[in-house]
Amino acid sequence: MFATLAGKALVPVGLAVTGFMVVCCLVLYSVIRDDLHRGEIVHATNLADTILKSTRYAMHKSDRETLATIIRNVGEQKGVDHVRIFNKRGVVTFSAKPEEINRQVDKNTEGCIVCHKGAVPETNLGTMQQARTFKNPDGKGVMAITAPIYNGPDCSTAACHVHASSQKVLGTLDIGLSRTELDRSLAMLRIQMIIFSLMSLVLTIGGVTALLRRNVFLPLQKLRTYVEASTEKGDLPEPPPHLPHDLDVIANGFYRVKHDAADKKQNPGKSA
Amino acid sequence: MLLTKNRIQGNLREAEGCVTEMREQQRPTDPGTPRGGADQLREDLTKEINRLNGLSTRGLMALALFLFVSILAWFGFLFLPAPEAVTAVLGKPPSGRIISIVLLLYTFSAIILSLSRMTAGIEHRSSFSHVGYLTGFFIFYYFDKSLADNYWAVFGSGITVLGVESYRIWTFCAEGITKSREDIEYVTRTGRRPPEE
Repeated sequence: MFATLAGKALVPVGLAVTGFMVVCCLVLYSVIRDDLHRGEIVHATNLADTILKSTRYAMHKSDRETLATIIRNVGEQKGVDHVRIFNKRGVVTFSAKPEEINRQVDKNTEGCIVCHKGAVPETNLGTMQQARTFKNPDGKGVMAITAPIYNGPDCSTAACHVHASSQKVLGTLDIGLSRTELDRSLAMLRIQMIIFSLMSLVLTIGGVTALLRRNVFLPLQKLRTYVEASTEKGDLPEPPPHLPHDLDVIANGFYRVKHDAADKKQNPGKSA
Repeated sequence: MLLTKNRIQGNLREAEGCVTEMREQQRPTDPGTPRGGADQLREDLTKEINRLNGLSTRGLMALALFLFVSILAWFGFLFLPAPEAVTAVLGKPPSGRIISIVLLLYTFSAIILSLSRMTAGIEHRSSFSHVGYLTGFFIFYYFDKSLADNYWAVFGSGITVLGVESYRIWTFCAEGITKSREDIEYVTRTGRRPPEE
């Protein structure tokens, strides 16, 4: 395979084109996945902000029933895996899943350690740092955002349940969005890229093969047949017509040499 | 092919680092080479074959070294310091997106360069430098903490660039060896230097 003209022409082209296309697809896939992931984080952050703003008045009034209803309703939304609010001590006080209420959360778990890794917990995190991805007990991918509920003047001075103004964070909202749709889109993208790469590979190799066959291999085959016929038979055939210029020069040169040799053989005394 | 025939004349020139120049026409078509000269010529041609035999595996050795580096990258360069420790000293690394753009440019340039060398029949033994560049990409992604996302892109790039380079070196050497063997046969038969092509 490697010794033939076709092999020599196709192997480097096929390898280079396929390899470069695969690298481009991998980089593109990585960029698209990164973009989608960032978009999902922004979406989850906005949703967390919306929930915090919607519940702030209920929190301020200490209206636990309204708060629980809001959390439960948001949790029933399609694509929402969980919504819960922790208090300062890490106890779940509100959750869309009633069985989670009053559960203590370990500060060393993935979503908590980001802020609680030092002696003094972090109170300000960037949007991207608030996000984490994991698989839920059903084995489905989840992207979660942990948004702190900050103390404000209206909280620390409220008549009902006063928080000390020195307490910066009152609790945490944890919202998780299912990644099932995103994973499905990425899987589709992967399949489309693989099909696109294979189609490009087939087109490239097919195109190069067709052009080589039409412009190089068939004329070469004609020339070879002509040379073999000229050496085997007694009579000298005319060079084949419609050869590419380079091969035509070779065929005519060969014809002249053979013709002169035959002429010399027939008339030994005649000088060239 | 064009190059190998020109290589033989007394002492073979050892390529130093990047041998990018075309080998000049060195072999005079002296029809009257004495028998002693023919022996010397055969010896030179045999040395050339041995040299090309050694060179032909260079691409594969580079590929093997790259696979070893890839395995280290797969396990997250356990022997390297944590990215945070290094970025604390050196500052923030370029973003993953910038590294990816540079990776694409590098892959494109390396393939074009290799195909050009293949077309021109230039001997160049730079496969190991590509392993260095690719290791650099792995390390940059590692410090950007995006190695897991971009591992396969660097791996694909390495396999492509080193694959094309290996093929180029291998075909170059195979053609040179075939030509040298034909030359030895010619020298043995005629006792003279083979004619120039």
